[in-house]
Amino acid sequence: MARDPLADPGPLIRRVYAYVAYRVGEGAEAEDLTSETFERALRYRDSYDPRRGEPVAWLIGIARRCIEGGRLRPEPVATAGETADPLDVEGSTIERLTLAQAVERLDERDRELIALRYGSDLSARQIAEVLELRTNAVEVALHRALARLRKLLEGDEAAQADTRLRERPSTL
Amino acid sequence: MRGFFRSRDEGLDLERELRASRPQPRDEFVQMLEDRVHETPRRATRGGFRIAFVGAITACMLFALAAVGGLGQAASAVGDVAVTAQRIVNTQGPTIVKKSSAASQYGKPATKKKIKKKVKAKKKVKAKKQVRRAGRPRFTG
Repeated sequence: MARDPLADPGPLIRRVYAYVAYRVGEGAEAEDLTSETFERALRYRDSYDPRRGEPVAWLIGIARRCIEGGRLRPEPVATAGETADPLDVEGSTIERLTLAQAVERLDERDRELIALRYGSDLSARQIAEVLELRTNAVEVALHRALARLRKLLEGDEAAQADTRLRERPSTL
Repeated sequence: MRGFFRSRDEGLDLERELRASRPQPRDEFVQMLEDRVHETPRRATRGGFRIAFVGAITACMLFALAAVGGLGQAASAVGDVAVTAQRIVNTQGPTIVKKSSAASQYGKPATKKKIKKKVKAKKKVKAKKQVRRAGRPRFTG
């Protein structure tokens, strides 16, 4: 019998969830997508080929397709109570950005790379296999994504300092 | 130089921070999904059984064919096909062997002209002989 890719599901669930959460944000949606990924993995368990990569890379491939599939589905219509208040949005932009929020601000490509590298903890070679790129190209793209993330965080820090100065009551 | 090292350190810090702040699923969620995976039994792969089954069926069919002479018939049919194909492909007429024992024994076949000449010459000789025998020319009326 071939090797079971889901023999030890615990660590795999955590890695897949981390990847999905970096892509779509933490919470119910990430859990739903992780569950869907494992449902599909259970269905196609026998089609797993160990020569083509580690089980985690196989699962991440499924998770990517689940995310893409989820994007194709129509967005649920928001009710009046669910619509965001523009004042809240403004308030949230003034709030300090956490690292996760900064990642959410990155473009799709960068976020995917960050999710693959630091969420699912894949190596550059494994990411290259998943994205069908060269390892060198992945390393360069990751480096650039990190630089953009750093810039976002630094920009936010500067904006915060500016806000604090404006909010401070004048002593004169 | 200092700036280079600083940016590298910052990069490492950011990487460390990204790993440390990796989103973690709820324990109940992980447990629920783990249970789901464990309770779904893995289907036993029947690849070996399938191959053996197909092999056995093939062997049975071959045996049955051989018992009624099907194999010989198939072989002769293949041979016939080969011969027919050869005939179609080969447009040359029958091969004539020129240097054979028969050819050396009987030589070249005589042409029509020579035969006629020979016949005429024989008739002349015959007539002369008859004249000689009779002493005078035959009465022709």
